[in-house]
Amino acid sequence: MESEDDMHDANDVESLDDFYSGDAAASDDDERDFDFAKSDDSDDETFHPQRNYTILSEDDIRQLQEEDITKISTVLSIPRIQASILLRHYNWSVSKVHDAWFADEESVRKAVGLLEKPVVDPKLNAVEVTCGICFETYPRYRMGAASCGHPFCCSCWTGYISTSINDGPGCLMLRCPKPSCGAAVGQDMINTLASDEDKQKYSRYLLRSYIEDNKKTKWCPAPGCEYAVDFVMGSASFDVCCNCSYNFCWNCTEEAHRPVDCSTVAMWILKNSAESENMNWILANSKPCPKCKRPIEKNQGCMHITCTPPCKFEFCWLCLGAWSDHGERTGGFYACNRYETAKQEGAYDEAERRREMAKNSLERYTHYYERWATNQSSRQKALSDLQKMQTEHLEKLSNMQSTPESQLKFITDAWLQIVECRRVLKWTYAYGYYLPEIEHAKRQFFEYLQGEAESGLERLHQCAEKELQVFLDAVGPSKDFNEFRTKLAGLTSVTRNYFENLVRALENGLSDVDTHGTCSRTHSSKSSGSKSKGGRGKGATSRYESTQWSCRHCTFVNVRPNTECEVCRQRRQNASATITFRL
Amino acid sequence: MATSTQGSLLLHKQLKDLTKNPVDGFSAGLVDDSNIFEWSVTIIGPPDTLYDGGYFNAIMTFPANYPNSPPTVRFISEMWHPNVYPDGRVCISILHAPGEDPNGYELASERWTPVHTVESIVLSIISMLSSPNDESPANVEAAKEWRERRDEFKKKVSRCVRRSQEML
Repeated sequence: MESEDDMHDANDVESLDDFYSGDAAASDDDERDFDFAKSDDSDDETFHPQRNYTILSEDDIRQLQEEDITKISTVLSIPRIQASILLRHYNWSVSKVHDAWFADEESVRKAVGLLEKPVVDPKLNAVEVTCGICFETYPRYRMGAASCGHPFCCSCWTGYISTSINDGPGCLMLRCPKPSCGAAVGQDMINTLASDEDKQKYSRYLLRSYIEDNKKTKWCPAPGCEYAVDFVMGSASFDVCCNCSYNFCWNCTEEAHRPVDCSTVAMWILKNSAESENMNWILANSKPCPKCKRPIEKNQGCMHITCTPPCKFEFCWLCLGAWSDHGERTGGFYACNRYETAKQEGAYDEAERRREMAKNSLERYTHYYERWATNQSSRQKALSDLQKMQTEHLEKLSNMQSTPESQLKFITDAWLQIVECRRVLKWTYAYGYYLPEIEHAKRQFFEYLQGEAESGLERLHQCAEKELQVFLDAVGPSKDFNEFRTKLAGLTSVTRNYFENLVRALENGLSDVDTHGTCSRTHSSKSSGSKSKGGRGKGATSRYESTQWSCRHCTFVNVRPNTECEVCRQRRQNASATITFRL
Repeated sequence: MATSTQGSLLLHKQLKDLTKNPVDGFSAGLVDDSNIFEWSVTIIGPPDTLYDGGYFNAIMTFPANYPNSPPTVRFISEMWHPNVYPDGRVCISILHAPGEDPNGYELASERWTPVHTVESIVLSIISMLSSPNDESPANVEAAKEWRERRDEFKKKVSRCVRRSQEML
């Protein structure tokens, strides 16, 4: 018994260490890069153990910015202030500044507004000068000027600078107030002329600009997080885990969504936005008033509908004709002969069919959405449970079972696995929604894998939540604890395997079931390196083979031959191009 | 508040200067003597243009933080011009703060800067009257007419000129 347990434990701890960084204590760089694809069969892995991004704190950002400014300032032999203006102009790319400067220094100076000498002769003998803004005359020493030498009085400069800083980040490109001059106003002038508050704002904008204007850096999108991410372009995986513990996709800055690709996630998020679903609901459950066209929902009562004021039009719900044409002779309040006759003649087919389809599509969507949302909230719950576990329960348990906390790592591992699996599972529902109905084999395979993974996860979650509770409630050491350890560690590893299979299958577009051996075979042969693109890209293509297509604009599900959405009249996107490719 | 007094001092100074040394082509005064931030200007249609002979009235409204932000100018007289909105507001680049277009800094020289005065603004409007910019029209109809049916455009402008004379 003992030895078996230990073996189990040892194995798990070892493999999990590779995967997870999430431990509160773990701040090691390599550890943070956990990844499902990093599986045991390492022969087909092109994954590099180094992290392909760096998390930057505000101090790091300042330091990098200073370093870049120093580089430019030294190489170009220009003051730091000018180097900063130059870098901002070229989106903080040192190499672009070099290229442009050494290609044509003069035109760069002109475009950026860095003058070598003043254009206005500083009449040194003049004691008094007139300000170009307020036309007051001041002694020379009370005037200020940018590198061009156009003199303005200090109070006008202050007003000018303050207005521009309060207008937003455009103040980083401030120029001399004289039209046609264009000399740049740098941070040195800001620092001598602006108020402390404005100076702070300015330096904040300068810092933000370094991240926002730079192509290889982005802010962490988590609310309130102040870290930025420096990403190595061209990396295989877009997954980023910020020091604030938020996981997100560098490419689309939505939360991490592997193995589902960015475009599916974008479609799903658009679909979840209230606007588009409202539209489908209204379509499925209401009819427009024949007179004022406002949508009306009939929840009970007879067919005699009176629209709300100011319209007040009275009509028949079934045939939408004026109620004045109705009555006993048309079947009374609960029927409509006119409708029945017309329906038999096929007059209502189109509208009915449309409403029916909207209803079906809504039901289908609701199915996936509910599961997506449930996993989302389960994950949140698991996260807080994990935290509680780490902050209080582990210590308690360690005392109770007389086991060192280091021996309880299997519990943390289980919870980390649960959190990650909930995330993956959640996104597989978005994937499933967009997997075409017509691809029976793929759907079956997908649903099988998803089902396996899900039931594994449920068992694990149940065990970590309920069975652990027993030991937390216990008063003394329990002899069942070792058994529990084996079970939980086992479930963790089994669930991990299920999810690895699921992730791998989705990342190569479920190509294992493609028995026709068409283009997907070539895809799957060695596509694990570029997994973020290749796999699901194919899935997205095959979506159009279905007999239905979802409108990109309003998400209404249309039937195949139509190229225009029945609801919003938007043209179907990419349809023809994709079909040509597939045929 | 400091800026507001700065603005009103500056406007008082300009008013004094313009009354003492009037500039050819326009006359300027206050709408209401107690409010230095609202000016009434009469622009004389520039000679040798379609607007020749017209006397066009406009209201210039200055913000409290003038000269750091630009005034708005609106024609009271009927006006037909590609760069004047149908409601009379004048649309020229020097009346736009540079901050409104953070990416357009290369055109900063054409935008508002605090060195502009009533005189420089009115002179810009006069130059706008003689050479409309139909690239970014405020009045699309007028711009299309100016480009494609110059005769009709001329007819409408001369009607504006006549009306403005009748108003005198």
